[in-house]
Amino acid sequence: MNEPVAGQSVEGGTPAGWVSLEFARLYDEHSRAIFYLALRFLGNPQKAEDATHDVFLKAFRRLDQFRGEASVRTWLYRIAINHCQNLCQSWHNRNIHASSDDIVFEAAVAKTDSPLRALETKELGQRIQKTLDALSEEYRLLLLLVADEELSYEEIAALVGQSSDAVRGKLHRARKAFAAHFEKTV
Amino acid sequence: MKQQTKLSQKQEHITEQQTQSQAAKEFSNADELLRFDAAQTAVPPEIAERLKKSAEKIQPPEARSWWKNLLGH
Repeated sequence: MNEPVAGQSVEGGTPAGWVSLEFARLYDEHSRAIFYLALRFLGNPQKAEDATHDVFLKAFRRLDQFRGEASVRTWLYRIAINHCQNLCQSWHNRNIHASSDDIVFEAAVAKTDSPLRALETKELGQRIQKTLDALSEEYRLLLLLVADEELSYEEIAALVGQSSDAVRGKLHRARKAFAAHFEKTV
Repeated sequence: MKQQTKLSQKQEHITEQQTQSQAAKEFSNADELLRFDAAQTAVPPEIAERLKKSAEKIQPPEARSWWKNLLGH
């Protein structure tokens, strides 16, 4: 997708018409990624719907602030992450886990990188949600972002405000914690 | 007769095993599993409808056409 730059007219169209067309494309192209992040980060389909609506509405309002310095995807993720984190904070969320929890599970699987096996794909969503809910907010977010193949490590690092090396290290631990929790959801 | 019953039981067993192996899925790591999950997740169409209504409240009339584009009306 071409990077929209606020105020720029394309193919002689009015700025308003261009914004309309671009935003339709933007929604089509990125709504699944944003909804998925909200769904698995918040762990609640209704809240994920509300969050996705709110994120795109914010983006719609702020379209004139988008300068094309980052990709549209990254820009939307930034809005989504802030929104979801604010929601979690305001709920006084039950998903606050001491990082020591993760360390225990990491230790449990440190010796193996065995594949994750699921017999019934229809139950997979529930198992994934249970697993993510058991992880710290930081690990959950990193795993959800790295699952999006359109994002580079550098972009993920920028989104979470850490260095690429720190992200790589944390992702390694997050994957292990995920695998250990996932096995327990059988 | 008895042999037939045994045979059909065996076939049932094989079919059951095949069904299980079809349903079984293996993922090499969390990234792969989450990508599969994301690909299976559909965005509820209600979100676009709600967004349309919300945007109409904040957008001048001439800039609304993208919603028609998006929703096909």
